[in-house]
Formats: sequence, structure tokens, C-alpha cells
Amino acid sequence: MRFRLPRGDTILKIVLVAAAVFIIAIVVGLAIELYLGSAQSIRTFGFSFLAGTKWLPTQNVLSALPFIYGTLLTSAIAIVIGFPISLGVAVFISEKLKSHQNFGYALGTVVDLLAAVPSVIYGLWGVFVLIPILRDYVEVPLHKSLGFIPLFSGNPFGYDFFTAGVILAIMIIPTMSAVTRDVLSVVPNSQREAMYSLGATDWEVTQKSVLPYARSGIFGAFVLGLGRAFGETMAVTMVIGNIPNITTNLFSAGATLSSLIANEFGESSGVYQSAVIEIGLILFFVALLVNFLARFLLWRMTRGTRVKN
Amino acid sequence: MKSTYIIIAAVVVIIIVIGGVFAYMSLSSTSTPSPTPTATATATPIHSPTSSPTSSPTSHPTSSPTVTPTPTPVPTPTPTISPATLNGAGGTLVAPLMSVWQPAYQQVTPQITVNYNPVGSGAGITQFTQQVVDFGESDAPMTAAQYSALPSGTTALTIPISASAVVPAYNLKLVNGSACQNGLNFTGTVLANIFLGTITTWNDPAIQALQSPSVAAQLPATAITTVHRSDGSGTMFAFVDFLGKSSSTWLSTVGASSTSPSWPSAPAQIAAPKNAGVAGAISTKDGAIGPLEIAYILENTGQTSVFYGTVQNSAGTYVLANVTNIQAALDAGASVGLPAGNASWTGTSIIDNIYGNTTATTVYPIVTMTYALVYQTQNSITQGAAIVNFMSWIVNSGQNLGTGLGYVPLPANIVAVDNATLKLVTYNGTAILH
Repeated sequence: MRFRLPRGDTILKIVLVAAAVFIIAIVVGLAIELYLGSAQSIRTFGFSFLAGTKWLPTQNVLSALPFIYGTLLTSAIAIVIGFPISLGVAVFISEKLKSHQNFGYALGTVVDLLAAVPSVIYGLWGVFVLIPILRDYVEVPLHKSLGFIPLFSGNPFGYDFFTAGVILAIMIIPTMSAVTRDVLSVVPNSQREAMYSLGATDWEVTQKSVLPYARSGIFGAFVLGLGRAFGETMAVTMVIGNIPNITTNLFSAGATLSSLIANEFGESSGVYQSAVIEIGLILFFVALLVNFLARFLLWRMTRGTRVKN
Repeated sequence: MKSTYIIIAAVVVIIIVIGGVFAYMSLSSTSTPSPTPTATATATPIHSPTSSPTSSPTSHPTSSPTVTPTPTPVPTPTPTISPATLNGAGGTLVAPLMSVWQPAYQQVTPQITVNYNPVGSGAGITQFTQQVVDFGESDAPMTAAQYSALPSGTTALTIPISASAVVPAYNLKLVNGSACQNGLNFTGTVLANIFLGTITTWNDPAIQALQSPSVAAQLPATAITTVHRSDGSGTMFAFVDFLGKSSSTWLSTVGASSTSPSWPSAPAQIAAPKNAGVAGAISTKDGAIGPLEIAYILENTGQTSVFYGTVQNSAGTYVLANVTNIQAALDAGASVGLPAGNASWTGTSIIDNIYGNTTATTVYPIVTMTYALVYQTQNSITQGAAIVNFMSWIVNSGQNLGTGLGYVPLPANIVAVDNATLKLVTYNGTAILH
């Protein structure tokens, strides 16, 4: 005998499936639009677009590699600085502040406030406050003392990959820490109690049982933060110097895929505009690629180690 | 089995919704939607794809294009003008001025509303070509490629509506510790070499040779950091145009000017978005120099972070930009001759016109105009009359409203050219203005 769902449930199911399919349709539609817009540029430049190093619109020499490099480098700096901090904040709030719940809420709210600040304001603050501070108190000393390392070998101007990475780190901390906090708070107490009963210290409990249990969620936060770092536009444009450059020197001006689009789309036309749209397409695929890579790594890590509760 | 039916139903619903949206969009684009919600009860399509003057069956021209005869040299637009909404899109250089013009024009002609979208010159020209706006606006005249992309049978009129100048702005601590004030001398060749990266320090002999001995001695050995706009801009277009004329090395390295020029890589350079970004970058770095719009300087009188220098004109005089010498440049440049409104303005440049003029001692050499673009044949009398009325007002009465923001009023000879151009706008074969 077949079981027939009540009509309300059927409608709900249709609506929910429709919503999911709609999201997929938007993503596919976006990809199609990007491809259509960049068709002219793909025809004109082919694969040399991905390999060349010069961006000279008036001479029709256009290539995306410096911008891909800029996006990856600034996002890497942002993750290196921001992930440990956000993890630390999340662990602190969810583990150490268990007995001071209100303070935990307050601290969490303050961190979330960082996410409410518009990107442009971060950029303005970066230009007038962060750049002079970073340049005079961080970059110049680093350059003087560790200048032999290629990372710090350039003459610091303040408008460089490093500053952009720092601002990106500040911008992705609230996202990552909020998700990590939520993930850590749903780790069942049985895990912690089991560790404590074996004589573990606070740090050992966190390190050996809570964090591994929440590993997939933390990874999800990591990917979320990385995604935000890839796409962040205004704040990066205002502090990165906007000079296409491929160099290991962190103190050199650079450009990212999104900063290029923000700067040059309005004034572009013809093949040039098509090339800018192709940059958007590349950003789309770079983000997709990194996302898949992260999820693949996560799958490798958690394969066979799922904790059943 | 039931769940597959549900999934199929959901997919069908999605396809229907998306298909409906596409169908609506494609249907309405072939029937030329009116992008302007006009106050009249009829939805008048403003530009049909065929530029023949056929109006939609529902449009009723409510105002006659004849004008009351007055003996003034300024063509008087029709006194009874129908309500209309004008949409324009274009460069960012004139955007602050537009926001002054809009309310002022609304007071004079309350039935016309003007909307301006500063999307950038390139996007403005694109929208103008697609006929989704009533007028376009651009910081650089249309290129040959853009002219050929216009719909066949249409002619674009180019109308200079305002002007701006570019000054070399710097932030420099002198040897004696004080900040270098306004008035450091520059020539086009020296500026080109600075931005090419061949001159790298402030005490380079080439820079020192241009100054008086006491100033030259004060120039420190600080490294030069060059700053320019990272986004497209009419002021960069003018600056690069000037550098190209001043230095053949620059011209061969960088090529022709554009609103997004291909800046050469100098050892220490930064690009920042918008005028404010460039000014911010200059003000935070000792030894920075960059091209800045005169509007920023004139608007922010009394600021002490950014100073600007003189530029030598072709007569050999070092000129510190101000409203008077910018207008003199516009005057001299227009006297050489500007194209007719409906002709091609590709390559027209005040800078080119005054370059090499060894007798004009009072002109400032880096001056650029910004242009409105209007179709010569209008397809709707309400929109056509409104456009002509608005353009005529901003060219004749609106010029002085911008002086507080650092915009220079167009001199009389350019206003005369614009008025002659506005007389070329026609509807149904007759000129809207007489």
C-alpha cells in the first residue's frame, strides 16, 4: 500500500526542492553570463591571458596572472593571520568562558560587530590609520632586520600585499570565529567529560577531543573565510597599490582580481571590457577550485574517522 | 515513485518561472520600453531601433517645437515644455557638478527631472549606444571604434559641458624640515621622466634645473613615489595626453592616452582609486607626487597635506593653475577650432590645440573638457525638447554654479559652439531650437 503524504507536506516539499534548484540555477546562470561576456576576450587572447604578466589596456596586452597571484597571496596572508586568531577567539569563548556566559556573549557580539563594518570604511581606515602604523612600526623594522629574506626585501610604502592581507584578516575574523564558535559549542559534553576522566588538562581536552570532533565545522569556517577573502573588493583596492606585480616581496604594491574589476570595469569597452569580465570568470573559477580542494582535503582527513555519537 | 513526481514538478515550476522571466525580458526589449516614467499618461518610446521619426501610436506631441521669437543670441528653448524625465549616464568627473545642476535646474524647470548615473565614461558611452539613456557623458571624446558602434543612421552630437585641469600634487619635506609649499616648477618632459621612472630622487639635477637656486638647494635626496588613479578617469586621460605630447619616450612607451592608460612601471609607484585615494596616498607618504584634479585643490582650501606645483606651458611660462589661466587655455584651445557638433570629435584635445603655441603666455597647459553626448535625431518631442532645454541651460546658465566645487566655467567661444550644436537637434526633420 503506498503512503500518500498530506497535501501540505507535498507542497512544502515542492517549494523546498524548488528553492534548492533555484540556487543551482542562479550559480549556473551566473557562470553562463560570465562566459558569454568574456567570449570575445577568450577568442582574442586564448590561453595567453592566463600566462602573461602585463596589463596594458591601451596596447591590448592583457593577462590575468598578476591578479590571480595577488588574490591568492593576499588571501593566504589573511588566512595565516586571521585563522589562528579566529580559532583562538572561538576556543576562548566556547571553552574558557563556559563559566562566564555573559562575558562570552559580549565578546562574541563585539567580534561580530567587526562584520558589520562596510568594506569601504575598512578601506578608509586602512588608508589613514593602518597604513602609516603598519609602514612605520611593522614594515620598516621588518625590512631593516629581516630584509635579506625575499619576503621582506622591498622598500615599504604601506600600499602593498601585506597591508591588504592584514585588512582582509580583520574582515574575515568575525565570519570564521562565529562559525567556529557555533561548531565548538555543539560538541557534546560527553567528549570533554571522557577526556577529563582520563586525567587530561584543559588544553589537552580542547586539543585532543573538542577540536578534532569539530574538525569539519572548523574547516567549513576556514573555507567561508577564504571565500570572503577572495571576493573582498573595496577595502583591498584602497590599500593594495593597484600595480600588477608578481613578486615574493610582501612589501610591494600589487593588484587582485576583484580590485581590477572595481577599478577598470566602468571605463572599459569592447575587448577590454570583455577581458575584465573574463577576470571575473577567473575569480569565479579560482574560488570554486579552492573550495573543492578544501572539501577534498577535508574528506581525506575525516575519512574513516567519523565519530558516531 | 511519488518523490520523483515531486522533483519533476519542482523542476517544471523553476523552468516556467525562468522561462517567463526571459520571455518577458525579450518581449519588452523588442517593443522598446520607455525607461523614463514620464508624467504624461502615454508611455512614449524614446528611441526606436529604426531612427526614422515614427512615433508610437499613443504619443501625442503636446508642445509645438516653435519658439517665441526673441532677439537674444542665446537660442531660447520652447517656453511651454512638457513634463519629462531625463536619464543620463557617464563619467565621474562631472558627477559632483551634476548634483548641483539637478536641483538648480529643477527650480527653473520643475516639470523636468534629470537623473545622472556616474558609471564611468566607457559604460556611459555603451548605454548611450544602446539607447537606454537620453544622454551620455564622457570625459574623453568618443573614439573611432565607438562612433562606428553607434546604431546605423544615427549621429551623435558632442557637447562640451564642463572643463577641468590636472595639477602635479606633491608632499615633500625640504632639507630644512619644512613642507614644500605650492609652486615647485615642473615641465612636461620632467614629469614624463618622473612617471617613467628615469628620475628617481627629488634632488635630481633635472628637477633642480627648473627651480630658483634657493629652492633647488632645498630639494632633498628623498626617493620619488609616483601616485596615479587606479580607476578610469578623465583627469588621467588629460595628464597622459600632456605627457605624451611633451615626451616622445613617453609616447612610445605608453602609447596613446585613454581614460585607463597603461602606466609604465616605475620603481616606486602606487595607484589608488578616486581623487580622494590619490590625495590620501600623496598625503601619507613623504616624497610622493601624483596628478590631481584641480577641483580637489580648489575645494579643500587651507589643507596642509598636499601642495601643487606649476607646469610650464609652450610659451615658457611656469603657470600655477587657477580659474583664470584654465579659462585662458580653454579659450585659446577652442580658438584653434573645434569640430562641428555632429562631426567626429575623436582626438580633439584642448591640450593638443594649445601645445606648441609659443605666444599664449597665460594658459595652463593641462586642461580637459568633459562632453555630453546627444543623438541628433530625436524620436520623441517631449524627450527631445527636454534634452535640448537641459543642455542649453547647463551650457548657458549653469556654468557658474560649479566654481565653488572647482569646476571652471566654459569660455564664451565654447558656449557659442555648444549653442550652434544644440540647434542641430531635430525631431521629425525640424530643429527643436530655432
